[in-house]
Amino acid sequence: MIVEILFQEVCGLYGDSQNPTYLEATLPDAQFIYTKLTDVPYFVNNTPDIIYIGCMSESTQRRVIETLRPYKDRICTLIDNGTPILATGNAGEIFTKTISYVSENIETEGLGIFDLQVKTDLFNRYNAMVLGELNDIKIVGFRSQFSFLYGDNSNSYFIKCIRGDGINPESKLEGMRKNNLICTQLLGPILPLNPLFCEYFLGLAGVQATAAYRESAMNAYEQRLREFSDPKIPFKHD
Amino acid sequence: MKKIRFFIAMLAGKITLFGLKLLGRNATFLPGKIAVAIDKNFLAGLTPPKTVIAVTGTNGKTTVSNLLNSILLSNGYSVTNNSLGSNVQAGVATALLEDSTLTGKAKKEIAVLEVDERSSLRIYPYLKPDYLICNNIMRDSLARNAHTEFISFIINKALPKSTKVILNADDLVCATLAPGNQERIYFGLDVDKIHEEGPLYLQDIVYCPHCGGLLTPEYLRYNHIGRMHCEKCDFRSPEPDFAITEINKDENKFTVMHNGISESYYLINDNIVNLYNFCGLIALLSTMGLSHKQISDGFAKSKIVKTRYDKLQSGDLTITMQLSKGQNPTACARCFSYVAKCPGNNKAIIFVGDDFEASESPCWFYDSNYSYLADPSINQIIFSGPRCMDQYLRAQMAGIPTDKIRTITDSTAGTELLDTQLSKDIYVLYGPYMVKQANLVKEKLIAIGAGGEDK
Repeated sequence: MIVEILFQEVCGLYGDSQNPTYLEATLPDAQFIYTKLTDVPYFVNNTPDIIYIGCMSESTQRRVIETLRPYKDRICTLIDNGTPILATGNAGEIFTKTISYVSENIETEGLGIFDLQVKTDLFNRYNAMVLGELNDIKIVGFRSQFSFLYGDNSNSYFIKCIRGDGINPESKLEGMRKNNLICTQLLGPILPLNPLFCEYFLGLAGVQATAAYRESAMNAYEQRLREFSDPKIPFKHD
Repeated sequence: MKKIRFFIAMLAGKITLFGLKLLGRNATFLPGKIAVAIDKNFLAGLTPPKTVIAVTGTNGKTTVSNLLNSILLSNGYSVTNNSLGSNVQAGVATALLEDSTLTGKAKKEIAVLEVDERSSLRIYPYLKPDYLICNNIMRDSLARNAHTEFISFIINKALPKSTKVILNADDLVCATLAPGNQERIYFGLDVDKIHEEGPLYLQDIVYCPHCGGLLTPEYLRYNHIGRMHCEKCDFRSPEPDFAITEINKDENKFTVMHNGISESYYLINDNIVNLYNFCGLIALLSTMGLSHKQISDGFAKSKIVKTRYDKLQSGDLTITMQLSKGQNPTACARCFSYVAKCPGNNKAIIFVGDDFEASESPCWFYDSNYSYLADPSINQIIFSGPRCMDQYLRAQMAGIPTDKIRTITDSTAGTELLDTQLSKDIYVLYGPYMVKQANLVKEKLIAIGAGGEDK
């Protein structure tokens, strides 16, 4: 099994860099390929079983888009063929149609997989928590972002929010999904924080694995689930 | 009209200050908040002290401000400072209005202002610093500070071009700040040019800011602190104008080289972050014109405040109290590294976890380098507070044997799980909002050490 981690040296903000570490612990026999921004991605000439990309700065986001743009057709083929791809935080935004960086007065064309627009405003930080549902799996997570997504994701979302916002404050549908490409604005260590989702995601690659450190991961997950279900706990914070 | 508005703001601020002090309250925020609410240009309306120094950066602001204040006072300068209060716009306004006349004229010679990086845009356009010292720009609270590029963007947008900048040459994010400012002084460490033992962790600058090429590290002490150069263009870490060239822990001395001359100073603390703090301070004070004797004597009279670091003995227990800023992954990792490197082979760490924030995001645990805690000299780790289960998982992922880890949800009850037969060196790590709880833990440890509580 081959797992490709894209651009971890610059796409690992907010604890996202530990998602690959958790995958490595969960899949001790898998081969992990860490592709640098200056490398040709492994997926261009090969088919990895899983691809992961994490959170990045805004200038890095623009560079990542330009790095991947020549491989857009290959990325579409991988998505159509069902390769599981996980993009966390603002990484998923690279797959949208356009990104407007309003505070920098820059507009960038994304890879256009999803017909959504992104508005990024460096002078407005949004911090919140999300409790959502993916089939029968409860997902818990955190968001800290400058951006919101606009457009219709009603046929292409990741989770339905039980508490917290979706792709923007008017939405209850969080993230984007096409086949096994999962994009979520939840950031940080989403896999260790959600061991059941980790197992589900690996299932998309045809792997029946037990999430690493399962007992302690489940203890932390269940405690958070209780807290997030408590109506007294506010879901937005400064 | 502008002058009337300013005068009303000043009067309201001073009355609030007087009232709060009369009530015995800590008047370090509200007076300035009221003044700025009445006159949003309040800071611009002041006639500031002759010299205004802004102290900013992710880690070390308070330590540098306190020491700077102490050294300047010990040399007979009159100083306005906000080191006891808030470092946002209202705190800065409070400190300045307190030491101003009703017409806004400064009564003191120098202002030493600790400035929260995020507040740069609300302060620098109105109050132009003569000097800005920045010790580092690292990952901090992800909710407030996002990432280091964002912090650089904010500071660069706000800082006047006329400000003389004192920057850490060993931190390329910091060293490339304020590119339009011509007067630049760099400081750094010219000792121990080696990769720090243990795994290197996250770097916040990897590619050349000029050409985008991959930067090659010559050495990295931790995160992106060290020296790097670009293979594709001539970009490299700047040479420090002031460099620590020798550290003598036995004699509590360190040596700084400047313009080919080596001078010795009293070593208050040997934590690497503080060495950078001290070198930056010396660079700033020398640039301001203070002599070696003035600075050196000031260092000898200064110490780090006890709410940040304290060490005491109770019976056979050595108790070290160490501030470890929550939400700040690098500051915490520095503390972990420091504990791991301290002498002794039977250390215990009690984490006094933040318990005021409902369901705090644990993302920053994963940005912090917990693998230092796997050092064999640490034989007990006790995570207390509501996030103890998250900490347990994080520690397990960092390779710490689970038989060394204990958890308890009460942030003041870590001592209940401590085995004093196993560990005599006890380190208590706590965030800035948990000083009260940490002191309770300290009292319990003192009692245990004195035999007052059977463990």
